[in-house]
Amino acid sequence: MSGKVIKYERDNIDTDVIIPGQYLKIHDYDELARHAMEGMDPEFHSRHGSYILAGKNFGCGSSREHAPIALSHSGIKAVLALSFARIFYRNAVDGAFLLPIEIDEDAYGAISDGNEIDVDVGTGTIRDITAGKEYKMHPFPDMISKIIEAGGLFRYRPE
Amino acid sequence: MASTLFEKIWDSHTVTDEGGSSLLYVDRHLVHEVTSPQAFEGLRLGGRGVRRPDLTVATMDHNVPTSNRSLPMADQTSEAQMRALERNCDEFGIRLFGMGSPNQGIVHVIGPQLGITLPGTVIACGDSHTSTHGAFGALALGIGTSDVEHVLASQTLWLERPKTLEVMVSGVRQNPRAVTAKDVMLMIIRRMGTGGGAGSVIEYRGKGMTDLSMEQRMTVCNMSIEAGARAGMMAPDEKTFEYLRGREFTPKNYESLVGEWRELRTDRDAEFDGTFELDIGGMAPQVSWGTSPEMTCDVTEDVPDPGEFAAGDESRLRAAQRALKYMDLEPGTPIREIDIDRVFIGSCTNARLEDLKEAADVVRGQKTAPGVRAMVVPGSQMVKRQAEQMGLDSVFEDAGFEWRESGCSMCLGMNPDILGPGERCASTSNRNFEGRQGAGGRTHLASPVMAAAAAIHGRFVDARELV
Repeated sequence: MSGKVIKYERDNIDTDVIIPGQYLKIHDYDELARHAMEGMDPEFHSRHGSYILAGKNFGCGSSREHAPIALSHSGIKAVLALSFARIFYRNAVDGAFLLPIEIDEDAYGAISDGNEIDVDVGTGTIRDITAGKEYKMHPFPDMISKIIEAGGLFRYRPE
Repeated sequence: MASTLFEKIWDSHTVTDEGGSSLLYVDRHLVHEVTSPQAFEGLRLGGRGVRRPDLTVATMDHNVPTSNRSLPMADQTSEAQMRALERNCDEFGIRLFGMGSPNQGIVHVIGPQLGITLPGTVIACGDSHTSTHGAFGALALGIGTSDVEHVLASQTLWLERPKTLEVMVSGVRQNPRAVTAKDVMLMIIRRMGTGGGAGSVIEYRGKGMTDLSMEQRMTVCNMSIEAGARAGMMAPDEKTFEYLRGREFTPKNYESLVGEWRELRTDRDAEFDGTFELDIGGMAPQVSWGTSPEMTCDVTEDVPDPGEFAAGDESRLRAAQRALKYMDLEPGTPIREIDIDRVFIGSCTNARLEDLKEAADVVRGQKTAPGVRAMVVPGSQMVKRQAEQMGLDSVFEDAGFEWRESGCSMCLGMNPDILGPGERCASTSNRNFEGRQGAGGRTHLASPVMAAAAAIHGRFVDARELV
């Protein structure tokens, strides 16, 4: 799956800026998506990204599943970050909203905002099409991988 | 084999293992109106029921109004969410402490107060501050809505096994009325960083922690999530057992349970994956100056220079620069010269009876500074009643504070209690993120004593000079 990168060179992007508290009453996912990233990037929607690239501890703060929902319904297929806050990580996977992909500093530093990338979970590769470079993603933990393959927590059947 | 408190609870609740993860049995599931509607909808669509409605308890806290509740609600979408919880609890047979209930309150305040939170249990709730319940020696986990649905349907939760982190707090606070549990926790986060507990469950140990009352321990465990931890906990002791005696839902076999609870401690030879040490002797009251809880300093210090704060880390430098811009603060400004517009005493971190008593001691006989709007939002209806029996409502109201109904209120800005753009607030809550208390609002985290003193003086003062 390929698409454009929206890059935020910052750590600790919290769920309050991903989807501010006042919108947690909204149950319509497309309506929720209209307010995605409103707390820090009013231009988010006009940038038409498929991927977010960010620093450490992405999704810290509240347990609101509205955060991955708002991003996925804005067209975000995966967040590539140096690390994730655990509740956001599980929400993204369990609800099959988007892929939380951990990456190394080299990919974080090198991939520029607006670049076209291709993410291949099968081979664990991130290809920067614009720059013609390739990076390895961190593999998903075993259980997370199984939940992703199943298409979410409720489709997953233990062995 | 020697094991930690966490390991004892984890192992005794593991139903099955697979690939480094465990299916954990959940003893208590706490539910509120914001993260549950889609979970109940999911149950309906999947044709599933609630596995153990008797172990599930619901309340309304996040968007309840804290003003006069006899009036119709102004916010229709909030009302719809609350009505949905009523319908869901009715349909699935779940006990609900709704807006009119004498037991209504912030979910993390009422759980302990009612004796629902017990040592050695696994507690789940669709809220990150579930870690609060760890103060009782429980493994208390904040989860999202998909996992809420999973717990409702199966009373279990799939979790990757976290690491164990010992936070060893030594020393004795000089003037513990002025330097509170909140200050200690802000100091821990300041030193460890918001990623310091990543992937771990913290166990708080040492005299600095065992000295704390149960309500103070809840304040500490509450903000474990702000240190990046999966949960935080403390071994139960005599204070824990005494707190739980005779509460409404404390089990009838309490006496025999206490015997089991005494075994809930980390064995002498057990090893943690990591240790963090802090000596709290001589520490000062803390105030946050930025937009992350780790951006905190002593009340006697100045707003730091971003370069100094970053100590060579590019990312921290940018974060501090952005934070100062958002907070409209200049490096070198003494914290005690920061004027404030609003004061919020409330939240699951600091809205228990002891918090309100400590704040009232600073306020008694005084008036709020001109131009400062201050509010007290008790953590639960029970806290509110107890405080009123002690006359605390009059102490606050006479000083010009608003005395309100219980709920999450201005901690997260879901109900009408929000900051206006540019307003600066001394807040006893847990997060100073951009826009957390209202778009453009500026939050300074502090203890109830420090927030109360700020209301009286219109700026931050060192509580050690007052109490």
